[in-house]
Amino acid sequence: MRKHILLTLALALTFGFKASAQSFLENSQVNGSFQTDAQYYMLDNGIGIDNLYGKQLGLNGFGKVGYSNGNFSAGIRFEAFLPELNGFRQELNGVGLANFYATYDNGFVGVTVGDIYDQFGNGLVFRTYEEWSLGMDNALRGVRTIVRPIQGVTLKGVYGRQRYFWAPYNEREFATDDYRGIVRGVDGEWDLNQSIPAMNESEFKMTLGGSFVSKKQYDQSLFYYIPENVGAAAGRVNMSYGRFAFSTEYAYKINDPSAINNFIYKEGQALMSSLSYSQKGLGVVLQVKRTDNMSFKSQYTALQNDLDINFIPPINYTHTHSLPSMYTYSTQPNGEMAAQFQVNYTIPKGTVLGGKYGTKLSLNMSQVNDIVRDSIMDHGQMVINKKGTLGYASDFFAVSDHRFFRDINFEIDKKISKDWHVTAQYINLYYDIETIEGHAGAPPVQANIGFLDVTYKINKRQSLRFELQGLWEREVKKGYVYDESEKKDYQKRGDWAFGLLEYSITPHWSISIADKWNYGNPVPEFRDHYFTGTVTYIHEATRIMLSGGRQSEGVVCVGGVCRTVPASSGVSLTVSTSF
Amino acid sequence: MKKILSIIAFAALMLAVTSCDKIDINNTHKPYTPSSSGKTVLIKDFTGVRCVNCPGAAETAHELQHQLGEDRVFIMSVHAGSLAMPVGKFPDFRTEEGTLWYNENSSNPLFAVDHVSLTEGNTLNVSQIDAAVGDALTEPQVFNIAIENDYNEASRELKVRNTFTVNGDGDATYYATVCLMEDSIVGRQVVPGGVDTAYVFRNVFRGTLNGADGEMFSNSAIYPADEFTVNCTTTIDSVYNADQCYILTYIYDNKDGKIIHTGMAKIK
Repeated sequence: MRKHILLTLALALTFGFKASAQSFLENSQVNGSFQTDAQYYMLDNGIGIDNLYGKQLGLNGFGKVGYSNGNFSAGIRFEAFLPELNGFRQELNGVGLANFYATYDNGFVGVTVGDIYDQFGNGLVFRTYEEWSLGMDNALRGVRTIVRPIQGVTLKGVYGRQRYFWAPYNEREFATDDYRGIVRGVDGEWDLNQSIPAMNESEFKMTLGGSFVSKKQYDQSLFYYIPENVGAAAGRVNMSYGRFAFSTEYAYKINDPSAINNFIYKEGQALMSSLSYSQKGLGVVLQVKRTDNMSFKSQYTALQNDLDINFIPPINYTHTHSLPSMYTYSTQPNGEMAAQFQVNYTIPKGTVLGGKYGTKLSLNMSQVNDIVRDSIMDHGQMVINKKGTLGYASDFFAVSDHRFFRDINFEIDKKISKDWHVTAQYINLYYDIETIEGHAGAPPVQANIGFLDVTYKINKRQSLRFELQGLWEREVKKGYVYDESEKKDYQKRGDWAFGLLEYSITPHWSISIADKWNYGNPVPEFRDHYFTGTVTYIHEATRIMLSGGRQSEGVVCVGGVCRTVPASSGVSLTVSTSF
Repeated sequence: MKKILSIIAFAALMLAVTSCDKIDINNTHKPYTPSSSGKTVLIKDFTGVRCVNCPGAAETAHELQHQLGEDRVFIMSVHAGSLAMPVGKFPDFRTEEGTLWYNENSSNPLFAVDHVSLTEGNTLNVSQIDAAVGDALTEPQVFNIAIENDYNEASRELKVRNTFTVNGDGDATYYATVCLMEDSIVGRQVVPGGVDTAYVFRNVFRGTLNGADGEMFSNSAIYPADEFTVNCTTTIDSVYNADQCYILTYIYDNKDGKIIHTGMAKIK
């Protein structure tokens, strides 16, 4: 009898466990994505590549897998740079598990351990993110806790150390040049419409938020007293009423001498505001921004975009076509005054100008200037931006005459018939290449740019698309008298033409040829053609792209963060898939 | 719930209070005592007459020199790159050797401290030289450099005798580069807000007496009290002010290009 009871119990436990495991598996979700970017480099004397410096092949690849089951989720990302593609930082060279995390979130409390990507408000005091196309990853390895004590209130805390390429995270393993501090921060957000019953259905919506972030770094300077705890705080408001919306955020940072700001002890400030109006067929946005000494990194000696704790969002139009995106603005961390105005309007269908399908018009204007910096008194002398001092004085609302960037563009997007679609844009550009790209002494780029992008549907499956683009620089002309030592500052200057023809057979194939020609370069030997041919095959979520030809020197920017891409010649292959 | 919010508010307050160190702006500099090794350091400042940020960077380098000792830190202003190219009345301080050392970099101002970064194909910006100089000063002194100048005012001929006495041990191929320098030249320089027509150029590199790479004086093991001599002769250009000229000699290891010791002596 006892034997039967034990057997029955064992069977019950076994089947119970099996049923539980089955239920567990049924609730599980797994997703992932993989990408490999490879390029085979070739010598090409025509564009000045007479040495590959031992790098015939570059390869960047990643694979990430995520798992979720109810309140639990976890993931890993594996990366390989063997070696890194040209234009990516050499420190990326390597292979390994770059990122992992596990999260439990039951709605009231959420805890994540591992590598954390998050943002407080606009990111003025805290943002960690990963951008594959830039080779950028400033993930925070540590802990994040989220508490939602009442409806509409979210409190968040983060604590950890940032990724610095492949440098170890354990302090005892640090080399002198990869030392970085600890980042800790809290953020609170209150959605009044969710918390206050009387406002639940109100057309007036309001959210308030506040953040505080601090870094703990160690003073290793031989010459200056470096603050070991540097705090930054921000407050924000988002409001909307009917068709209007307004948002603003102000951030303040205490003394933070660093290699970026030339070791000055001035406080940092940032203000960003946006006002918008939208209705069917019309959208208007006005944005303004002022930043002053707001670079915030977890290592005071870090340069470029390394170990950024915060993020200064750009307020410029993002161009996607080849020539308009050649000169993309890169955020200046030491200070800028920026404004952007955008209007989108759709001329209704059935009108003379709207035609059968309507016509989309958009106008965008953005400009970025430097802030005004005035001398200050230091030990009886007037100084400006001198190490070990407060640096300078700056009137909050004053705008410097030094213009970094201006972009005025107008676009028409029109579906002419069921077979023809046309997009055309005109851009007037000012780009201070000396400040933005560091080409010392080079005159600013002042250019008119235009493109025409036409798609013709041959039939239900096949289509043809062609692009014609032109860039005309006003100041840099053929015949410019240059010194031999100046030549390389004119590598991509002067007038350009671009043409592309693409033939697509949906849903799988696309074939294109393109040529980019720097026909108006002031230096005759730089008047090169950059021709490319590309074949793309798509099967469900898998994309394979093979291309060959030349790539011109330029910059790749995402969200105001940029990396320089050197000119190259060769064959590249991209394979990506997801599930 | 109130309890949770109170705990969170208290924790946030504590974090804020303990997370900000305010430095007294009147006391930002640390007292610094260079090591007693006697090792000297050379800062090569790649600059240009049309480089608006160069005067500020040069001033920072000179402040550092003043702070650490003018007998321990030497500065060589090497005019090179497109911004060193003169236009109109701007002076031309470019030299063949300087252009070679500049190694096709694309901007000014840039620095090399004892050649360390220069030989790796990159250079430092002015905010990075403090630590590099501080580190270099802590290294042991391997050589002493004694420079004797014999200058003939009439012919403007200069004979230079460099004597290198070994202080420690070493086993490398050692080179010495002998440079002619001129200090306090007045001329045009682009400065923030315009052009300074009476700018004082400090420590201007005028050229070498024995080539950009200098010359080898030892390629075997060296021992304390070993002595080596390098002699050079040149004629001082008539436009140079001999009263402000001096010889700067540095010894470097040919394997990695790193400067081991630097010395200087006025020609008069």
